Amino acid sequence: MVQGEESSWRMASAHDHERAAVHLNQAALPYHGGVQAHASAALPASFLDFQPAAAAAAYFGELEEALIHGAANAGGVGHHPGSMITSDMHSAKSAAAGYLAARPPTLEIFPSWPMRHQQQLHSGNSQQSVGSTTDSSSARNTMAQMELVSPGPASSIRPSPPSSSEQQPQQQRQEVMMVTTDDYSYKPAFAPPPATLAAAPSFQQQLQLPLHGGDHDKRKHGLARKDGKLVDSKTERRLAQNREAAKKSRLRKKAYVQNLETSRVRLQQMEQELQRARSQGTFLGGCSGSGDLSSGAAVFDMEYARWLDDDGKRLAELRGALQAHLVDGNLGLIVEECMRHYDELFGLKEELARSDVFHLLTGSWATPAERCFFWIGGFRPSDILKILIQQLDPLTEQQLMGIYGLKQSSEQAEEALAQGLQQLHQSLADTVAAGTLNEGAAVPNYMGLMAIALDKLASLEGFYQQADNLRKQTLHQMRRILTTRQAARCFLSIGEYYRRLRALSNLWASRPRENFIGTDSLSPTGTELQGLHHQPQQNQFSGF
Amino acid sequence: MQYAAEQAWYMPMGPAAAASSMESAVARVERLASESAVVVFSVSSCCMCHAVKRLFCGMGVHPTVHELDLDPRGRELERALARLVAGFGAFGSAAPVVPVVFIGGRLVGAMDRVMAAHINGSLVPLLKDAGALWL
Repeated sequence: MVQGEESSWRMASAHDHERAAVHLNQAALPYHGGVQAHASAALPASFLDFQPAAAAAAYFGELEEALIHGAANAGGVGHHPGSMITSDMHSAKSAAAGYLAARPPTLEIFPSWPMRHQQQLHSGNSQQSVGSTTDSSSARNTMAQMELVSPGPASSIRPSPPSSSEQQPQQQRQEVMMVTTDDYSYKPAFAPPPATLAAAPSFQQQLQLPLHGGDHDKRKHGLARKDGKLVDSKTERRLAQNREAAKKSRLRKKAYVQNLETSRVRLQQMEQELQRARSQGTFLGGCSGSGDLSSGAAVFDMEYARWLDDDGKRLAELRGALQAHLVDGNLGLIVEECMRHYDELFGLKEELARSDVFHLLTGSWATPAERCFFWIGGFRPSDILKILIQQLDPLTEQQLMGIYGLKQSSEQAEEALAQGLQQLHQSLADTVAAGTLNEGAAVPNYMGLMAIALDKLASLEGFYQQADNLRKQTLHQMRRILTTRQAARCFLSIGEYYRRLRALSNLWASRPRENFIGTDSLSPTGTELQGLHHQPQQNQFSGF
Repeated sequence: MQYAAEQAWYMPMGPAAAASSMESAVARVERLASESAVVVFSVSSCCMCHAVKRLFCGMGVHPTVHELDLDPRGRELERALARLVAGFGAFGSAAPVVPVVFIGGRLVGAMDRVMAAHINGSLVPLLKDAGALWL
């Protein structure tokens, strides 16, 4: 379509007077195609990136054309940009056509494009000069700019026609170009104007001809107006500039929002598909350093990223609340929010543990610095308690007793779980190594062996659940022991601690690696380095 | 930690065993649970049961352990325990029933409840009340 339009556009530029004479309403279409073609040729990256703006750009092109022809007739101030914007291409054209028919030419700057075009083309036929496309585009560009710049084209055109009749068209183009290039920072929308100026400098001259010839009375009117309010015309021009810029931003914003909406819908669909696939138990592969995630793990990672964003907001809220010395009631609400936030994460982890516990246990969702402190898939409760005891300094005797008691209980529970896990490891190793390993898989009860090993592996999930439960209970108990204010500081400390660990991981990942080759032989496994390579993607995750 | 004598599989079927076979599984569970201050129903190969046993030993408590896989009527007991524990919100249906802990004849629950009780500080008073822990 683009190529066809391109060729039709070129034809139009070469023989535009013939084409336009024949097809009134369709004359604009090749130009719109020409708009898109030229835009895509001139600015492929920005144009294609902004597909939704294509319609807006094309529409804008038409607007430009209408304005150009309006300027040709004009003697008066144009004043219906809004009505032009709100209608689509064809209705705009027909509206303009009707508008022209109804109104006297003097106040017209949005005439029907085909009618005026036809007149001008016929009159300007002899003076058509087929320059290079760039020349013509710049010429049309300047004309368009001039039109858009001043609602009272009289003020801008007045000086130019006399000058252009004497000087070369190029000079005029250049001086007007200087005025107007900074009005349009938005490329895709900017592309159409040059494209719409594809029809040669013939237009420019054609536009000028009527001004010279037939519109003397209009000019007089314009001059009179201009002389009467010289300052106002400049203000009007500025106002028109602002209007146009605002129009363009609105269109841009609308296109952007549409883009966002479609992406959001697509994302929702993808998430639903993921959930469906996960519930059907389709696993994409084991969790490994190369980044193969089961569908549940992928969903968890996504949810976790969102949780981290929320976490940042909560921390900021806590900090603000503590500094503002809020009443305990309000602070309590925020603290409750934090507790719910952590519970949410525990819920997410519990859900994933049913389908893919190894993703949680290996900690691929966490940053490396946090993984150092991992204990059965998360933080070790007594570690956190040790940190918090130091942070929460003014504690009552009873609170101190409570916290030390909590620390002792959690240590005992951790020890019990660790011993259970150790027995599990031993038993699993014994099962897998049962029989003679030398014979490979030819051992008679190989499948039975595997079945037993599978059962033992399944009990690993139970240990993870208990460890997570221990973490959750420790946090809740901590909240019970402390006052509201202390609890706020407690949550803030935990959050900040993990934020720092995450930052440490980021720094580690981005540290210079000049001696990377040298340490290659020293590193324990290749997968560890491979894991380091993957840090940039996982930097935002933490291992709570 | 004492292992109750009736779990010994080598015990011949005698009047005591015959009498116990008339008992429903639930009743038997309750009877066993009230025989000692701390009673743990476990499976010898279960590592989580091992963990709970280590927890009690670490606190200085000596629970009475009933290994269900070594009991001739272990399956019934397991089913009865599952019914008892069901209302206590265990982690998912795939989780094994054992270990189940009774303190002072009253049901505490599965591992998660025991851990939660320990963390929020209610386990130790419970043990003291039952006489399993001194000081």
